[in-house]
Formats: sequence, structure tokens, C-alpha cells
Amino acid sequence: MEMDRESGKLEQIVSQFRSKILHVILNSRIPSLHHHYQQQEPLSLARVRKSDKWFNLVLGDRAAALENLNFSLRNLLDPMIIDIILVHHSSCSSSVDNLYTPSAAVGSPSDETVIERWVVQYDCARVNATPSGADTSSSYKKTYKKSIILLRSLFAQMRLLPAYRIFRQLSSLSQTYNVDLVYKVSSFSHPFSREEEGAMKEYSFVPVEAFPGRLCVSVTYRTALSDFNLEPLVSLPSNIITDYVGSPTTDPMRSFPSEKGFHATSFSIRGARPPSPSPFQRPHSWSSGFHKGLPLMQNQSLAGSPPAYRTSPKPYDVVSPQSDIYGNRIRSRLPTLQQATAYDEYQLSPPFSASASPSPPAYLSGANPVVAHHCSETAPVTIPFPLTGRNSFYLSLNSSDPSRHSLPPLSPRSSKHDASSQESPSGIRSYRKLEALRAGESPSGLSINYSAQKMVRDTKDDSGRFSGLLSSSGSPRIGFSRSSSRLSFQDDMDDCEFSCPFDVDDIDVSDSPASQNIEGKKALDFTAQSVPVGKKSQDAAVGMLVHMLRTAPPLRQDPSCYSTHSSKTVGYEGGVGTASGFFMPCKTADALEELKSYREMRDLLLSKSGTRVVRKEGTRVVRKEEM
Amino acid sequence: MNCEVCQLKELEVEHFEIREVLRCILHTIVFHRALGLVRPKDVDLELFEITYVQCGDVELEKKIDEKIDQFISWVEKHPNKKSQICLSFYEVKSKQPSWFTNKTERLYWEQWYVNLNVTQQPKQHSSKSHHTKVVVDPGESANEERSSRRAMVEASLREVLFQIIKFVNEKKDHVPPISEGVIYFPYEITMPSSSDSAFGMDMIKRMLHSGHPTMLS
Repeated sequence: MEMDRESGKLEQIVSQFRSKILHVILNSRIPSLHHHYQQQEPLSLARVRKSDKWFNLVLGDRAAALENLNFSLRNLLDPMIIDIILVHHSSCSSSVDNLYTPSAAVGSPSDETVIERWVVQYDCARVNATPSGADTSSSYKKTYKKSIILLRSLFAQMRLLPAYRIFRQLSSLSQTYNVDLVYKVSSFSHPFSREEEGAMKEYSFVPVEAFPGRLCVSVTYRTALSDFNLEPLVSLPSNIITDYVGSPTTDPMRSFPSEKGFHATSFSIRGARPPSPSPFQRPHSWSSGFHKGLPLMQNQSLAGSPPAYRTSPKPYDVVSPQSDIYGNRIRSRLPTLQQATAYDEYQLSPPFSASASPSPPAYLSGANPVVAHHCSETAPVTIPFPLTGRNSFYLSLNSSDPSRHSLPPLSPRSSKHDASSQESPSGIRSYRKLEALRAGESPSGLSINYSAQKMVRDTKDDSGRFSGLLSSSGSPRIGFSRSSSRLSFQDDMDDCEFSCPFDVDDIDVSDSPASQNIEGKKALDFTAQSVPVGKKSQDAAVGMLVHMLRTAPPLRQDPSCYSTHSSKTVGYEGGVGTASGFFMPCKTADALEELKSYREMRDLLLSKSGTRVVRKEGTRVVRKEEM
Repeated sequence: MNCEVCQLKELEVEHFEIREVLRCILHTIVFHRALGLVRPKDVDLELFEITYVQCGDVELEKKIDEKIDQFISWVEKHPNKKSQICLSFYEVKSKQPSWFTNKTERLYWEQWYVNLNVTQQPKQHSSKSHHTKVVVDPGESANEERSSRRAMVEASLREVLFQIIKFVNEKKDHVPPISEGVIYFPYEITMPSSSDSAFGMDMIKRMLHSGHPTMLS
């Protein structure tokens, strides 16, 4: 029984010895495994795992690949042969070159070369005399002590062999080469050819007595590795990105016009057209692309609230495509034999970096050539299509309803909380409608904005409808009415061919009898019938954005403005003029700037839509005068 | 117990190379004799393309650096002389006090002699700096000569390291058992003191303590 216990301990020593050697060798030869080891936080020796304490050599946690290998080579009597293979990739960097140059020059090293072969074997060929009980009890201790010394010397020698230099070069994160180091572990191996043997040397460690056998470790290694030219991959192959959109940080032409101080709120609430050279230009129409307004929206959100509506990370938000390409190239270079941990080295360099000025979404620029054209001239801003709609709705609520100024940040998700914080019943009612609308997804947001815009500006004109709504709601709040007008607007969109969506007044022209149904189900219906993105909603999106910018609150949220507005909420006798007068002290210059940008964007878009817009424009002018 | 002695191959080094060479050799030896729980630490030499291994013990590193500083001071006072550093491992044995011996006795079971031939005058900069740099002489021929000489020193140093590994592998039986909680065996680094006679006295004292004549090859 004592013998069995001792033999069990010895077997464990032998098994752990093989595992430890494998760990030492691969950690010192395979860059990916070495990185895995380096990334581990070094624990204090007292907290080292028990499995890592074997042979008093702390190496860190093993990679999963090593664990699997250990499991597959459990037969202690089989030799464990570890081949360190140098994989030499083709020196040609482009596929075109490969067509004209031979894949391998004459006399060049083969693609895969075994540069080291480690053989770990528990040699039981010699049958020693059965030791006595006292000897066996101390034999495994001696075996263990000598195994420790052997592992120490093996660890040190691994740093002195020629392959270590290649390993260190390949482990360098700052450079990539045309070669890779991989390994192969098996219990058998193909013998070297005579030529290979001539270029290799053998070193055998002194075997460690491990009754009834002994532990033998030897290495056959290439003495000279200068034949393998480590060519650093300096230049990256050119890769033309056809749909690269870029960002303001890379393209100086694309910059946020934030310095111009766009303030959609002041402009939209005022409604009045600021003095402009062209009386026929509508103030709240896009003149040159609809991206210009977006920075304003973002600025507003950032100023007044956390940018919660920052669009979800988009794959086209690529600021540094080079790094992405680099990372991708590197990954493709790694042979399959390399462990997945090879990718760990690329985590330092973040492939994508969020830019303060996000680039416009590729789908929009691709779908709408006009928009794409605008993209080249205006700030590349992503158009958070559905979200912006909602947020602008929040903004418009904020601006028009004094109770809204206590609204939480512009987050579509937080609308529920917003509702709870509202004091006015109409506000709550509006939020409920908003909830229902939100359930119907993006286009409802569009319609909401349009309706809000309409309500802000044309309350008197549509007083009949709105008053009816007001009376039914029991509250003169605009938010309430806004929802109603949204319904009518949606009907309008369905009825007429809305070719110029940025002309908000078109909604008024094609007014249909207002529906007093303010249930969420209707909202959902609108959603279903809403203009799909990419078709008519391209223009609708532009108009929506214009509206959002107009109804957005100012960047500088002056409480005095809101308080003043609250006193003038009821009764828009002054109409837009009153609102404009309200905001005049705050944002006149900004509104003018904004108007200019709108005009530019609108001009570009109008060139597409043709004369119809001009006709509608005239109608709008008339309507404004009535107000 | 036998005291195994290993005379390492003589290295011809310049003054500014002493620190790196000694660090490399001494730490390599101690790493093979630090049989307690260690987390090995790779250290790259600055002057040579060699990586050696330390056992990661801060105290040990400090002690070795102190001894190297002492050695460099001695070399500065005795330029162009062959010198030797002795790294000894011993066991502490308690003994009955007598006229000639103390209560405790050191039983040396292994000694390593590092032989250096310092061939250049010591530089004026402080020898305590840990990163002595080469002063590059103008002229390509001087650079070529220096680089070829550097390559020779590197090759010799690599041979010395292989020699250590070979010795460690071949001689294992004399190594005493590892005590619990002890990282490395008690050791001693001796070097020639200001007077050669004192150095000789140290050697005689060691012989008396170990009880065996020192094997000098």
C-alpha cells in the first residue's frame, strides 16, 4: 500500500512534469500564448493557484489550448514531442504580384520548417532494482527536487537557443513579419531528413531518476536561423474604400457649423422668416442638405442634456479605417494553427474611435444622391432617423410647453419618466400619446414633429380643429393639440404625394378634417402607413429634421426664456410673432445663421423637386401673412 | 557532503560591461539554486543580445547589485587585473562552540568562481549607475572593432551560461533538500578585498569551515 501511494505520487510528478514542460516551451516560443501569459495580472506568490505551484515555477494560467493538449497526451509512457515550426509566408504583398513572380525562389527555405523539436519521455526501459520502503519514500522527493532543477535549466536554456530571438521579434507588438511560429504536439514525429539533421544540433538534459524509470528531455534545434528572412511588413496594401464617408476629423471640408450657433428652437418657434434676401425662400426649409441641422440637434442635446440619443454605434462610424484595415490584415495573416489569443495583441489599438462629429450614415448617402451631394458640403452627421424625430418632439414640447422644461434629457427611452414628472395634465396626456406613437416606431416621430411644427405656427389658422381638440381634452395645451394635428398630418401624408417634405406648410395646405381620435391605435396605424425610409421619406426626413431643428430648444437653456414662454402659452394670438418675440431676445443672431443654413440646404433639395415647391412656397407665404 | 566547485570560463570584459556581465552570471546561478516558489523574470541585457532569468526576489537583486558595486570599486582601484568573484551556497549547521568555531557553522556545498579580466581603465562616470552606456568613438574602424569585440564577449558570455546550465544538470545529488518557505539557499558572494592577502585569508577560512580542500582547477 505504501508502494502504491508512492507510485501514485510519482505518476503525478511525471504527469505534471510533462505539463509543466509543455507550458514552459510554448510560453517561450509561441507569441500568442506568450501574450496570453503577459496579459495576466501577476498574483502574489501566496495567491498562486495550486496547479501553478508545481515544481515551484509560477508560469501563470495555461491557455485553453494547453489544457486540451494535456488532456490528449495523458499516456505517460508515450513520448511527448513538441515541434516548434517556423511558417514562412510568401514575400509578395499583393495578389497581383503573385501572378508574375514565382511563389518561392530557388533555394529559399521551405514554407514550414521545424526549428526545434523537444522530446519529453518517461523512459521505463531500464528496470531498476526495487528499492526498499525507506528509499521509495524519499525517491519521489528526490525526483521532485531534481525535476525542479531540470525545469530551471530548461527555462534558462530556452532563452539561449537561436529560436528565442525569432520568438521575441514575432512577439513584438509594434511590428509584424512574414513568418509565424506555430507548434505541433504529438506522440510521434517524422524523422528529420539528412539535410535537416545536418543543420541541427541536439542537446540532452541529464535524465532525472524517477523510479521505475527516468525523465528524459532532449532538444534538437537549428543552429542558424539567418536563412529565414524576417521581413517586417511595413507598408499596408492599398485598399480603396469605395463608400468611405469620412469624418470631420479627417476631412476638413466636413465640419460642424457649430460655431455658427444654430438654434433650431428659436428659429422654429419664432416661425417668422428672418430678413433674407430671398423672400420666397422658406425659413424652415432645407436649402443645402439636411445634415447641417443635425449638428445643431446634437449640440442642443449635448448642451441641455446628455446626448442620450446619440445614435447607436454604427459600423460606418469609422474614423480610422487604417487601423481597421491593419487589424483585419493582421488577423488574416495568422495561420489557423495560431491560437485565438493571437488577436489579443490587437486590442490596444482600438479599431474604431467614436468621433465628436459622426460621419453621415452610409445608407442615407447611398440611397439619396442629393443627400450624398450634400454630404460633401455639409457636416457629416448621422441622422438618427427615428430617434431624432422623437427627440425633436421632446424638444418641441420643451419649448412650447412651460411644463416641459422640466423634462428629463432627450432620451426616447426616458419618455416614461418624463411623463411622470409632468405637472400639467395635458403634458401627461401628450406623453401618453407619445408612448403609443413610439410603440409604432420611427415614422410616427416624423409625423409628430410635423404636427408639432404645424401646431406651433398655425394654431390660429387651424383653430377650429384645434379648438375642438382642446375642448375635448379640456386643456389648452399645445402638446395635446399637437398630437391631434399629427394625426391629420399623417393622413395628409398618405393622401397627397409628399414630394417636398421639408415644406412643413404643405401639411396645412392639404389639411383634411382633423381626426379627433387620439388613441394610440391610430398612431400605430400611422406608423404602418408612414413613408418608408429610402423612398418618399427621404424628403420627409429632411422636412422632419427641419421641423425638429426649428422646434428644438436653444442650446443655452435660459430659464428666463421658459418662464416667459409659460406666460404666453395660452392663446397664440400673436401667433408665431409672439413666440418669435419671446425668443427674439435670446437667439436672433443664431436664428439668422440657422436660416441661412436652412436656405442653403433647401436650395439644393429644391433643385431636385422642381417647381412644385415654389408653388407651395407661395401658398405658405400667404398663410403666414394671415397669421 | 561534497562541495562542488565550478570554475567558469574567463571573460575578457571592459569596465562598463562588468555590471551587466556579473548580473547575468550571478542571477543565472542563483535562479538554478532558488528552488523555492519563484515567478521567473526575464531580463534583457542592454549591451548584448542575451536574455537571462532572475528568480524575481527583490532583496536578492538588491544584494547582488551591492556586491557588484563593491566589485567595481575594487576593480577601479586595481585596474587591468584579473579578478574573481566567488558565489557560494552553504548550509547552516549548529555546532558546539569551541575555540575555533562559532555556534553555527557554514557548510559550503557549492561554489561558483566567476573569472573576469577587466581590460580597460574605469570610466569617470559613477559606477553605481545601473545602465552604463558605451561611449561611441568616432570613426568607423573603431566602431567595427568595438562591435566585433562586443560579439566576442557576447559569445563568451553565452558559453558561460551554457556552462552553468550544464553544470547544474550534471550535479544534482549534492544539492540539499529544500526547506519549506525558503526561496533560495543561503549564499555568499565574496570578492577580492582591497588587499589580496585578505582575500586569501577568506579562502583559507572557508576551507577550514567546509572541512574539505577547495578544489581549484
